[in-house]
Amino acid sequence: MTRPYANLSRRMTIVALLVALLPLNGLGLGLYYYYNYTNTQALKEELRIRALNRATAIELFLAERTALLEVLAHGARLNQLSNESELAGLLSIMNRRSWSFVDLGIIDKQGLHRAYVGPYLLKEQKYLDAPWFQQAMQKGVYVSDVFLGFRQVPHFVIAVKHENGSDSWVLRATIDSDVFNRLVRTAQVGKSGDAYILDRQGRLQTPSRRGGKVLDPAPVDMSSVSPGSSVVERTTADGREVLTAFSWICGGKWLLVIDQDPREILGPLNLARNVELAVLGLASLFVMVAVFILVRLFIRQLRRNDEERAAIDAQLAHSARLVSLGRMAAGVAHEINNPLAAMSELAGEMQDILVPGELAKLEEGDVVGENLSRIQNQVERARGVTHRMLKFARRMEPHMEGIDINDVLRESYSFIEKEALFNNVKVQLDLNPNLPMVQSDRAQLQQVFLNLMDNALDAVGQGGRVRVSSQADGAWLTVKVSDSGPGVPADLAGRIFDPFFTTKDPGQGTGLGLSISHSIMQRLGGSLELENHPGQGATFVARLPNSPPDTA
Amino acid sequence: MNPFKVLVVDDERDFLESLVRRLQRRSVDATGVTSGEAALEHMRVHKVDVVVLDVKMPGMNGIEALRRIKHSYPEVEVILLTGHASVESGVEGLALEAFDYLIKPVKLDELIERIMEAYDRRKVVGELAGSPPPDAP
Repeated sequence: MTRPYANLSRRMTIVALLVALLPLNGLGLGLYYYYNYTNTQALKEELRIRALNRATAIELFLAERTALLEVLAHGARLNQLSNESELAGLLSIMNRRSWSFVDLGIIDKQGLHRAYVGPYLLKEQKYLDAPWFQQAMQKGVYVSDVFLGFRQVPHFVIAVKHENGSDSWVLRATIDSDVFNRLVRTAQVGKSGDAYILDRQGRLQTPSRRGGKVLDPAPVDMSSVSPGSSVVERTTADGREVLTAFSWICGGKWLLVIDQDPREILGPLNLARNVELAVLGLASLFVMVAVFILVRLFIRQLRRNDEERAAIDAQLAHSARLVSLGRMAAGVAHEINNPLAAMSELAGEMQDILVPGELAKLEEGDVVGENLSRIQNQVERARGVTHRMLKFARRMEPHMEGIDINDVLRESYSFIEKEALFNNVKVQLDLNPNLPMVQSDRAQLQQVFLNLMDNALDAVGQGGRVRVSSQADGAWLTVKVSDSGPGVPADLAGRIFDPFFTTKDPGQGTGLGLSISHSIMQRLGGSLELENHPGQGATFVARLPNSPPDTA
Repeated sequence: MNPFKVLVVDDERDFLESLVRRLQRRSVDATGVTSGEAALEHMRVHKVDVVVLDVKMPGMNGIEALRRIKHSYPEVEVILLTGHASVESGVEGLALEAFDYLIKPVKLDELIERIMEAYDRRKVVGELAGSPPPDAP
């Protein structure tokens, strides 16, 4: 493709792609981010609600157990509870209804473990310095953080103080960690979800799926957690992007933490988003292909139109050139004919004077006589040239007349005869003498025949052969111009009638000869075709309708 | 000397003089003038049977001269002679009843032949018109 077409093609492609793809992709990407945003928002909200619900459930769990212990502590007497068999009966009744206590114990105000039922050997232990004991004595009710204690197992206790005058003691129960941990774990969702409780120092109170064992420090910056419940996006210590919901429990004593990998939850939702992206990509691809195809088609048609117009322009210019050439030929012929006529008369007069016996009297008179007749011969020769020029000029005007095709062929041949002789090309005229006259434009036919013969001479080069034949077969008169040249390469044969197509060197041909000849033959109702034999020469076949002059 | 008179009109003096002398040498009573005006002037005084007229001349051109000659002397035959073979001037000349239209250079024998033919027609036309051609034998 030549430069202007390539530029136009590129500009059209860019504009069409921008116009089609910008809104499409704007809409598509907008939807993509909207999906993303709303999905994430929905997940955050869901996470926050879950954390709140779970926090409420945990608080309720603790509150129920605290209340039960308070009823026991206030309703029973010390003697009664100090009886370990009665205490054991009480614990089994409580656990029968899944109250999830591991043990029960009574501690007097000196901190001595007076009675104990449970799996550990803790009776007679002294708790005067234990923080939970001091807190219970001070506040009446205390739920401890997780600690190791004498049993050296992480656990937490609920302690309730009985006070009756100066007499006071503490009822203490250990909560079953398995049950409590399960309660917290119900907030976990999916394979990667994590839920755990931290104390104010950021130590794990329940095990974390990923964060570690109970009492390990958790990698959460406690100071940045806002009061109440909140959801943040954060990066965990092992580098995962997670959504984390925080919810304070028991008036800020503990912090419930729920980690959630958004991708796991959003995965199915994101499928719709990804389908949308894929549809967008396909649509963009489709638009691009369509744009490329349309631009190509458009440019091809535009180019074809331009070429046709250029060919018509070139033909018009060519015709105009021929007409002015004809006028010039006529003018030149006229200017030469006048001096020729004078020369002829002057020489003729001298012949008139000298011929009747005068020559014999002169020395070398025969040379004078010979020269005079030679002058007449030269005049005659020049006259032949100018008269042919005048004939040529006369025929530049298009008009239909009765024509003997053989006559036109012979005349065309007379124009190239000299060139053929120079190049040692044998031209064979094989004309059928019985051709009917046809009605056609002599000058245009001559132009076609001249062009074909000229091309044939160029094709054969030195020492080649050219054959020109004419024949009549039914409705058509056929003229064939064959040459012994290399023929037309098969891949170019389809293009030789295209305007501006030429195999000659630059400056040697306009590429218009065959194109113009082709359109002339069509205009005259005939045709021009190539019978190609690559390697063995080419034959151009011109056909004219066999129309007698009187019926045309 | 042939019994009829020929007037040759051509601005090319070399051609004109030589041609007139050659015609005279072949017993054709010929006279030469170099313009259309001179031709009309000559014909006012002298009797002329056939005019050989160059088409392209300075001043009055051949076609105009032909028109005037045919207007004033319709029985006179005119042979147009030119270096230019334009279809229009040929057709126009014949439309104005020129006897023939020849392209220079013309062989003398051919020209004399045409002059004879022109005179023959001049005689026929004259006889049909009822008046014997002047200088008839």
